[in-house]
Amino acid sequence: MREERPADPAPALAPAPLPASAPAARRAPLALVPPRAAPAAGIAARELWLAAHFARLPLEALLPQTSPARAAAVIDAGDPRRAVVCCNERAARQGIVPGMALAGALARVPGLRVEERQPAAEAALLDRLARWALQFTPMVSLEPPATVLAEVRGSLDLFGGAMALCRRGLSSLSGSGLGASLAIAPTPRAALWLARAGLGLTVTRTDALPGLAARLPLACLQWPAETVAALAELGIRNLAELLRLPRAGFAARFGPQRLDELDAGLGRRPEPRRRHLVPERFDERLALSCEAVTAAALQPALERLLANLEAFLRARACGISGMRLDLLHRARVPTRLRLALARAASDAGPLRELLRERLARCPLPASVTGLRLRSAALLPQAPRAASLLERGRSADLEATARLLDRLRARLGRQAVFGVRPVAEHRPERAWRIVEPGGGTAILWPASAPPRPLWMLAEPQPFADWDGVQISGPERIETGWWDGHDVRRDYYVAWTRAGVRLWIFRERPPGDGWFLHGVFG
Amino acid sequence: MTDPLAALLGPRLWRGGGATPGPAAVSTGFRRLDERLPGGGWPRAALTEILVPEAGVGEIRLLLPALRTLAAERPEAPRWIAWLAPPHLPYAPALAAAGLDSSRMLVVRPQAGFDRLWVMEQALGSGACAAVLGWAETAGDTAMRRLVLAAEEGQAPGFLFRPLCHRDEPSPAALRLLLRAHDDGLDIEILKCRGGMPARVDRLPVH
Repeated sequence: MREERPADPAPALAPAPLPASAPAARRAPLALVPPRAAPAAGIAARELWLAAHFARLPLEALLPQTSPARAAAVIDAGDPRRAVVCCNERAARQGIVPGMALAGALARVPGLRVEERQPAAEAALLDRLARWALQFTPMVSLEPPATVLAEVRGSLDLFGGAMALCRRGLSSLSGSGLGASLAIAPTPRAALWLARAGLGLTVTRTDALPGLAARLPLACLQWPAETVAALAELGIRNLAELLRLPRAGFAARFGPQRLDELDAGLGRRPEPRRRHLVPERFDERLALSCEAVTAAALQPALERLLANLEAFLRARACGISGMRLDLLHRARVPTRLRLALARAASDAGPLRELLRERLARCPLPASVTGLRLRSAALLPQAPRAASLLERGRSADLEATARLLDRLRARLGRQAVFGVRPVAEHRPERAWRIVEPGGGTAILWPASAPPRPLWMLAEPQPFADWDGVQISGPERIETGWWDGHDVRRDYYVAWTRAGVRLWIFRERPPGDGWFLHGVFG
Repeated sequence: MTDPLAALLGPRLWRGGGATPGPAAVSTGFRRLDERLPGGGWPRAALTEILVPEAGVGEIRLLLPALRTLAAERPEAPRWIAWLAPPHLPYAPALAAAGLDSSRMLVVRPQAGFDRLWVMEQALGSGACAAVLGWAETAGDTAMRRLVLAAEEGQAPGFLFRPLCHRDEPSPAALRLLLRAHDDGLDIEILKCRGGMPARVDRLPVH
């Protein structure tokens, strides 16, 4: 990493000198860089932005601990070409490049590990990286999908200068295995460009930026592919060539916001950034005065933590939808209990009850030396309704949520669920397990053929034909397009015991009959 | 009630069955069954025990009209219809076709060996359920009594389905039925009903 010092008289970094020749001078006022706004040399920028770009973030969000020995790539599930979004170093060495179609990539590296991109995991990782950036400055801003920006002008003295700050940033990331590229520039947009280009520069003067433009490829702008293609047709490959285009024509062809973006990058135009706020949490530890070996012995300490949590929430008029209790042991990883609530709670009552259930179910692997209670993000909560009628309603809603929480705390989350019909002809796909209360009611045609009230998880072979009468069939033949096609004749069967069954056989008729439902 | 015996005796003779007001009830949707039940339907805030020879004889179809009524009550604060440890999965399209809002269904499938009656007691006592349907093979006397109390406390009708072999055991349930299926309907034997008398309803057509 090299540092561009304000005093450095390197000619390449000086503001692009206006050509003296007559035709060029005539063109200059129209060029994308208006010559008037160049600030006086030597004046340090008022802001300095650190950009940390994580080029392989989609991959790293999914596979945090992959061995670099295996080639891996991430594709976008929504993309019809299923183009590679990013790949690890090994895959890159074997010739995979982002943008390559999946078929091509697999032809090149047959053993390629392919994962689908998960935006939620990426957002969570970026959020964690925002916390990392908060060690340098409180003003942190995110540029999804893969860049974190931080205004570090005020922190430079503390960290010993821009280069030292970058070095410190890189070294603190080195343990995480994330591939980061850091850059510092006077505007957030320019820092973004430099970081995406992977140049690793620290630029502290606005007037040094136009001189760097020749080293910035168009790709670092991350403009839509068609815009980049149109620019490539004009013979433009880097930012310097782009900046030589006439302003009016550029704005007319590519849109004024693209011009604004370039101006913002070069410091001609302010670009306010949205500050990333880290949600407040309750997080408290409590050391036990004597080690506890039973769950009951933890209760007094837990009570104190819960009372603190309740006061914390009440002071902020907030509720929480979940929390984590760590039981700390002497020389062992903490035992973790996670609680998720169906409805945000602000008082410790329901939490206490649920924690007691969880603790009763959880055997202590070792004696407990301390507790740590950490809440999920706070949710603003309306104050308790004072009206008598409103109160009845909210009490009912609370009762429904409390039942869910209690059952889930004892039985596990998967054991409690809701069901929802799906408009689909294949019987096994005409319903779905949902969160309780989830899914809107859909109108089911009353004239539809009869369906059993009970469904078997898997069709069972049906052979007990003693005294069985059948009626039907109802033919269901669909689904050829997604590889799970169904060709069946369904019959209603009455057994001798009077039970009504829903049975089918495959088409064309084989000898196998299957039981699929019971009319209940 | 047009009972020939009642017509003969007239109002002079006090008869136990008629005098005790039955518990508040919700209509079963079947007139012949309603007539036999005190209060004219399934008792609310009480436990009903239904003995079935095997799962699927029509026990859910028998309950469907009442479930529709119960689910539609109090639309401003909808409550669950809880299915606790059912033998198979309730099939959402069939429930929707029967006119039940599937978003109010709460299905609980505890792991094998878990105390199912604890789940039922929680659901009944929570006040969050419009109706609770539970399946259990074994049920001790104490557990059954707890269910009865929970149903009273949570003001919820509970329906406990058990195999036929429990017929001769004593039960604290407010109503006990025994079902037998035929091609043309259900035979319902009322083994016990609080505030009423044992009776039979033959060939009740449930669809």
